[in-house]
Amino acid sequence: MSLRVLNPNAEVLNKSAALHMNINAAKGLQDVLKSNLGPKGTIKMLVGGAGDIKLTKDGNTLLKEMQIQNPTAIMIARTAVAQDDISGDGTTSTVIFIGELMKQAERCIDEGMHPRVVVDGFEIAKKATLEFLEKFKTPVVMGDGPDREMLKMVARTTLRTKLYESLADQLTDIVVNAVLCIRKPEEPIDLFMVEIMHMRHKFDVDTRLVEGLVLDHGSRHPDMKRRAENCHILTCNVSLEYEKSEINAGFFYSNAEQREAMVVAERRSVDERVKKIIDLKNKVCGPDDNFVVINQKGIDPPSLDLLARAGIVALRRAKRRNMERLVLACGGEAVNSVDDLAPDVLGWAGLVYEHVLGEEKYTFVENVKHPNSCTILIKGPNDHTIAQIKDAVRDGLRSVKNTIEDEAVVRGAGAFEVAARQHLINEVKKTVKGRAQLGVQAFADALLIVPKTLAENSGLDTQDVIISLTGEHDNGNVVGLNQHTGDPIDPQMEGIFDNYAVKRQIINSAPVIASQLLLVDEVIRAGRNMRKPT
Amino acid sequence: MKELVTFQVGSYANFIGSHFWNFQDELLGLFEDPQADMVFKNQNLDMDVLYRTGETQQGIPTYTPRLISVDFQGSLGSMSSHGTLYNQSSSLSSSITTWNGNVSTQASEPYKKNLFLQRLYDEGKEKVANANGDSQSEIQDTDVVNSLEESVEFWTDYSKVHYHPQSLFELNGSWVNPQEFNNYGIGKNTLSEGLQGDEINERFRFFIEECDHVQGIQFIIDDSGGFSGVGASILENIADDYTNVPVVLYSVRSPSSFINPKTRKQNIYSNLHDAVSFSALSSLCNLIIPVGLPSLNESRFSQFLNLQDNKLYHSSGVYASVIHSVSLPFRMKRIGPNGESLYECGAMDLYEGIQMLAGQGRQNYVAVLDACIPAPSLVGRVFKQSLLENLLPLTPETAYDVEDLQAIESVIVQGVLGSEEHEATLSEVKEAMETAYEKATTRPRFSHLSVSRCPLPILLPFPSIFGTRVGRRGEILSNPVSESESMSRRGSIDVHSIPMAARLRSSTAILPFLENRLGNIRKFGLERGSIGAEVLRNWGFGREEVEEIGENLSKLVVTLDPHQGYSSDSD
Ligand SMILES: Nc1ncnc2c1ncn2[C@@H]1O[C@H](COP(=O)(O)OP(=O)(O)OP(=O)(O)O)[C@@H](O)[C@H]1O
Ligand SMILES: [Mg+2]
Repeated sequence: MSLRVLNPNAEVLNKSAALHMNINAAKGLQDVLKSNLGPKGTIKMLVGGAGDIKLTKDGNTLLKEMQIQNPTAIMIARTAVAQDDISGDGTTSTVIFIGELMKQAERCIDEGMHPRVVVDGFEIAKKATLEFLEKFKTPVVMGDGPDREMLKMVARTTLRTKLYESLADQLTDIVVNAVLCIRKPEEPIDLFMVEIMHMRHKFDVDTRLVEGLVLDHGSRHPDMKRRAENCHILTCNVSLEYEKSEINAGFFYSNAEQREAMVVAERRSVDERVKKIIDLKNKVCGPDDNFVVINQKGIDPPSLDLLARAGIVALRRAKRRNMERLVLACGGEAVNSVDDLAPDVLGWAGLVYEHVLGEEKYTFVENVKHPNSCTILIKGPNDHTIAQIKDAVRDGLRSVKNTIEDEAVVRGAGAFEVAARQHLINEVKKTVKGRAQLGVQAFADALLIVPKTLAENSGLDTQDVIISLTGEHDNGNVVGLNQHTGDPIDPQMEGIFDNYAVKRQIINSAPVIASQLLLVDEVIRAGRNMRKPT
Repeated sequence: MKELVTFQVGSYANFIGSHFWNFQDELLGLFEDPQADMVFKNQNLDMDVLYRTGETQQGIPTYTPRLISVDFQGSLGSMSSHGTLYNQSSSLSSSITTWNGNVSTQASEPYKKNLFLQRLYDEGKEKVANANGDSQSEIQDTDVVNSLEESVEFWTDYSKVHYHPQSLFELNGSWVNPQEFNNYGIGKNTLSEGLQGDEINERFRFFIEECDHVQGIQFIIDDSGGFSGVGASILENIADDYTNVPVVLYSVRSPSSFINPKTRKQNIYSNLHDAVSFSALSSLCNLIIPVGLPSLNESRFSQFLNLQDNKLYHSSGVYASVIHSVSLPFRMKRIGPNGESLYECGAMDLYEGIQMLAGQGRQNYVAVLDACIPAPSLVGRVFKQSLLENLLPLTPETAYDVEDLQAIESVIVQGVLGSEEHEATLSEVKEAMETAYEKATTRPRFSHLSVSRCPLPILLPFPSIFGTRVGRRGEILSNPVSESESMSRRGSIDVHSIPMAARLRSSTAILPFLENRLGNIRKFGLERGSIGAEVLRNWGFGREEVEEIGENLSKLVVTLDPHQGYSSDSD
């Protein structure tokens, strides 16, 4: 799909035309993304010219699928994608908020205000809103045992904006448990330690959390066991294949014998490495034990033969990241040389088994003792469904991580936006001198786009909803909207919470880009600088 | 040593790749076709080098290229990125199972299949439904050929190959229109952001995990724009994880990428890109082969070829056939320790090939690609020149008639005709080559010969690019085919196979190519107050990195010409 808001060929435009082009582009992008927002939003199915299907309810994914050509729209899209990189969520809100800031600004400018003054007002309002957020947020105490219920509420809120309720609820437990599994006290959470694996399967409800690791390959020898219990796990990065010596050694075989001799020597050294592994196996394995080698480098058929004959299960070319994950899941250490082989580098798993689906093989490493790494195994009937669930799972994981790191959450369903708006109007605006007041007012009104859009997507009358929400807030009640009835609800009671980091990032970045777009001198051309905004 | 993994990165690389895989697919078909000519049936090529055996979830066996193709989203035309073999049942795919709320569907206009693809599709259906008796409106060969000549827009338009679902990777999210995706820096950034680089690595791992004895990786990279940066990112990841796997790289350019820049600034821009791109790519592989002349039609190839330079479909066919020839030695079966085949000789694996060209002597790893299409008959009286003298460079900016006593060459001859219009025997070819080398005025220090008796099959969707003096089996006719004077281009209907010769050459002939790049980086990037520094900074190169590029290029030059005694400009 393509979005052409304005003629992209227009070369250099004068100031006012450029300004209006920016405003229109922002509005255009808002229109496209608006229907995405919230648990009543619309899912988009994009069908390509060759019938390929993409499914998304996520602002980030949708933006990336769009062939955006308008330079202004590209700038906004970049901000939104950066929003996702930084905080993991809130792309749709960012885009519609930028659009709304531009709309409100347009109204002021049409009434004769200078863009500069609007921007000054935005600046004041932004600062005040961020301060307000600090007061408004709900602290979450993260002692030794994190507040599991709170984590679940945040994850559920996010997931229900992407998946139907019962699937979202099922995934809620999965993502919370996954993050708690990899979390180590006093260390930042590395979400890469949660592997996300998928399998084509009729029912998405079979998605599950594996405490341990799922690898997307199996052993490559017919005689190796497909299922083994009580397994010692060797995680290594050692070449177990015949390799030619380095190229450019300035040497060329002068005859067949020389060549043959080289081959024999190299083979012997590979075999020796394999034998060292077999020795270790013999040393540690009792009669009921098994030995599994998971290697990042290659293992060629002769080596596989030797290992199979020794009763060892061996996997080759494991993902680099799995070296780390395996050790976290099973214990032991990853070794880079056979010289480091010793019983204490081995990890342990109660069960290792293979699952085959056509040409796809999966190896499950399960029943581990104290997993600090785990796998979310996503099942779905086809690639686009799997991809959409995967996106949602990523959002869910990020929301749990954010909550733990922020030690705070923000009441959702529009509650924050309405509260901040009333604060700006009732408290902040009067402290501002001159026409910048109108800029503050514009910013405040723009915040309402979130509850308005939530209402609109729920098929409710936006004006009624806003009147009743602002009324409640003026009476001192923090409320959001009930997406079924439009009535005010207490988000705290309903367990609707958004991430603090996400909200802060939206409030921080949207006005920056809006201000830039309002202060144009001439058209900004895209494609100049591909670096991420920092 | 066995498997090769192939990468195709960027538009022109995929145009070439599409032809390349068509040749392989045709050879596979001919091998199994009882009516095919004996030379095709007796070929001793190990197709498993390039192909993988697999199985769908329904248990149907598959045989598909061990390939990763990277191109822009939208460049696949009417082909699904999942390929055709592993299709998921469509009734399942169109229903949305993850959302109970509203759905909005945005469907692009389906691409219309051209006549060729229609016919492929119909044949596929017929095979399944088989004997319903009345085969519907048969599409004629000539109609197919004409339709392709007029309508090819995507590389998939003329592809008859089934690809694996992991093979076709579409790059998205850059929001750059292709015209602006014209430099190394922009491409480099595209992959380093987000998950796309990881995804390509994972696909590569999928293919290489299956390999028992990977012999190497062949890269075809369209390095005329941003895809050189994309390719460099991929190569960097490979270098990290698969240190000892040999990599050969064809950096390819279409004739249309040589269109003269309009302004001085654009000119500097493109010169800098060429230097930066070549320096980066060459340092990430074991052998680099720059390929692509500004024009084929105005080159000496036009003696027997008659093609339109502005059609990617045309010129890519030429380069694909030569890359096919070059790849033959890597997949010739070695029969026993001393067992001689009657059909092929000169097998080597990629490592040996690279070792031979770049590992001995002065260790120059930039090779010139030469070719001869079609290769003249060994006994023909029409041309007195030997095959050797007919080899012409497909590498741009090379020097003619260089005398290089240290040159190393690897020559591949396939399907040349001998007496009585038969494919010449191996010993006939060897003998002819030996005589040719003896007679030659300058001789390389070392040369290697690989011969296959099997010519290049010209299949239906191959473009009409042959001149009127090329016969049915690629023989050179003494008189142009007169009755079809109006048809000055002959294609697959008239020409069924082509004898070929190709050569990789480590030679000082590449010096102008290297010197131009070195000169440009010095002039526009390094000299004080030069205009290019700003451009280079935008691409992510600081002063030090630019100096490194200069040193890297200068090293390549000095390798070939130690007397040049390049001293650093600053003193
Ligand atoms: N049950 C609910 N009732 C009302 N509003 C809700 C509910 N759950 C979530 N919301 C609101 O929906 C908004 C989030 O919607 P959504 O996740 O679709 O968009 P986003 O986070 O801005 O962007 P994206 O997720 O596409 O990156 C938040 O404002 C949140 O408070
Ligand atoms: Mg969200």
